[in-house]
Amino acid sequence: MTKIAALDRARHAALRLRPTPDVERMRYALIGLSELTMACADFPICLAKDAHTGRFNLIALFSLEEPRNLFWLAQRWQATYLPQAAVTAPFLLDANTELGLAIDENSPRLGHEGSPLFEADGRPTAVLSEARARLQRVTSDVADAQVMVDRFAELRLIRPLTVILTRKNGTEHQIEGLYSLGSNALAALGDDVIVTLYRLGYIAAASIMRASLSQIERLRQLHNLSGTEPFTDLRVQVLEN
Amino acid sequence: MVRIPDKASLDDRPVRAIVIVGGGSAGWIAAARIAARNAQGGGSDITVTLIESATQPTIGVGEGTWPTMRNTLAKIGLTETQFIRGSDAAFKQGARFVGWTHGTPDDAYYHPLNPPVGATEMNLSPHWVALSETRGVAGSFADCVDFQGALCDRGLAPKLITHPEYTGMANYAYHLDAGKFASLLKDHAVNRLGVRHIVGDVIDVEQAEDGDIRCLKLHGEQEVQGDLFIDASGFKAILIGGVYKVPLCERRNILFADRALAMQVPYPSADTPIVCHTVATAQDAGWIWDIGLWTRRGVGYVYSSAHTTDDEAERTLRRYVGPAANDLQARRLDLNAGHRRIFWKNNCVAVGLSAGFLEPLEASALMLIEISMDAIADRLPRTRRAMDILAKQFNETFNHHWDRVIEFLKLHYVLTQRTDTAFWRDNVERASVPDSLQERLELWRMHPPAAQDFTFAREVFSWPSYQYILHGMRYPTRYAELPTIAAERPAAERLLGRAGALRSDALRRLPDHRGLLGKIREHGLQLV
Repeated sequence: MTKIAALDRARHAALRLRPTPDVERMRYALIGLSELTMACADFPICLAKDAHTGRFNLIALFSLEEPRNLFWLAQRWQATYLPQAAVTAPFLLDANTELGLAIDENSPRLGHEGSPLFEADGRPTAVLSEARARLQRVTSDVADAQVMVDRFAELRLIRPLTVILTRKNGTEHQIEGLYSLGSNALAALGDDVIVTLYRLGYIAAASIMRASLSQIERLRQLHNLSGTEPFTDLRVQVLEN
Repeated sequence: MVRIPDKASLDDRPVRAIVIVGGGSAGWIAAARIAARNAQGGGSDITVTLIESATQPTIGVGEGTWPTMRNTLAKIGLTETQFIRGSDAAFKQGARFVGWTHGTPDDAYYHPLNPPVGATEMNLSPHWVALSETRGVAGSFADCVDFQGALCDRGLAPKLITHPEYTGMANYAYHLDAGKFASLLKDHAVNRLGVRHIVGDVIDVEQAEDGDIRCLKLHGEQEVQGDLFIDASGFKAILIGGVYKVPLCERRNILFADRALAMQVPYPSADTPIVCHTVATAQDAGWIWDIGLWTRRGVGYVYSSAHTTDDEAERTLRRYVGPAANDLQARRLDLNAGHRRIFWKNNCVAVGLSAGFLEPLEASALMLIEISMDAIADRLPRTRRAMDILAKQFNETFNHHWDRVIEFLKLHYVLTQRTDTAFWRDNVERASVPDSLQERLELWRMHPPAAQDFTFAREVFSWPSYQYILHGMRYPTRYAELPTIAAERPAAERLLGRAGALRSDALRRLPDHRGLLGKIREHGLQLV
């Protein structure tokens, strides 16, 4: 359970931040619009619904099962790119606090090891200014992605993504709740719309999202290397129309 | 001089111009359904014109729907988000009937919109009877075979914010503001579907020699010609009654209610829970409906003027609403249970209140409009000759449907054990019970309602609905003796176990009703 509190120089004076991100059980992360080209080198980029709003988020998928992360191996991040939203914890932006930040007091990254949050005289260290800057960057980048995704939704381009994995004994595991873009729907867009989307970079983004679906096979391979019960077969299909 | 075309070309005359008279829910549903189905995509020669009276206000009491409304809206091309925001809609998961059997404080049962679990596999009704009679299993039929009553008890919504439009974990319909709904449909039909909208009153009708309506004359010398006319002019029934003199077949001998008093009750605060089902509470001379919208409740007393006075009825309604009613006006409506025997005459078909009226006990008004429009819009007569055959089908079908609806409404009354007022005593008089209902009730002592009891593939009330009412009102049966029970029991127990599992899952996941409506208004629902 998280325990969110305003960052307070007296209450949190002694806290230190471990440098290792807490991503071991993170199954996916939100990604910003500028991260797409890098994230697609490692992960499938899909859409998933926010549980509180029902709106679609742009996410990079790290695993086929919850809660695990196939890119966290031997206490290290084993991928070429680390999405920025995955490393913002335990900090959150909170404009109503003196330092503009809130923290999750229950985060395993906080304790007696690592870099201090505050100097002995109570001044905030670079850890906090960096955390704030990263959060501001990520928030704005994710908001840009949100604008794009909302546009895709409005144009009725989003389609359910069926991912079915087969175990050795023949039983199937279906991953629920993932979405991508429909090729037929994209192809049916009018010329004017296509030009507008192209200039916004959204056509390129759509192509990257579709192409990145082949990374689901990479997740299967990593899954099978991880020593858990292997998946012998994978079927990925965007439900067109 | 009018040139009269020869017979052959008359017969082949294509039906192109559809003219709808009336701008209430019926008229706009008709216009939108026909236009969306038949006048889109560029290649169609169908035009849809709706004439809305400048002087006649709409009745606007049809505030409960069936799950069919989800299909209707989707076919029209309205999103669920637009609909919920635009008509202050809330979800409805069934009806709770309070005080209908004994009139005692704990007398209540649900008619949920979910069918019994495994309805396509097995008829669970005799198994519930056997379990409750021989094994002392407690719990109502609805709670045993389905989980929706538990959602209603807790004020939970039938879906999550992540469910796509028009889908959910439980079956659902809506409560809506009829005035806002008509405006929403009008805006969509005119601006999106190309329906021509004329405001004016029909003052004269020009007919051809064969009786067909040729054109309508409006104030200001405007004429509207048409090939097919839909009379959605409400109780006025300008065409079906006024022009064709098709009589209304009264059914007050079966359903006694002939008056309604309606009141709009505001919520005491912005976070008052919104009830997720219709509450129908039996009274001395009728019953009170109570439905929750986003902005307010709609409450009304439907009563028989032969069994109470208007003043007494108003006191009853005010007593039910409580102190909240003190500053509120009650609006009185005169009703008349009955319908046409001919709905479609020549080139004119009646839809909505012009076709007939029944008390809103099972929210059949909008549903009958929807299924009428399914029949009309999905097979819009291509030629005048086809029209006569389709009209014959329509008249047969809808006589059947109205008879079945009337019987199903009567079922709620005829199973009562109340003898405290003349209204309830008179309702069980044999003379007031249709023969076919009486016959089925005989059968249903020995055999549970089943699909075989009904002749149409698409019955408006199907056998599960009859089971919910019969068992909800504890109709005495001998199903426990049926010879099929023993062999079916293991499968039946598996199904009942599934109902329990579905209940646990639904109770764990589904959100508060008002909370979900707020989220839909803020964020919208997704299409997929």
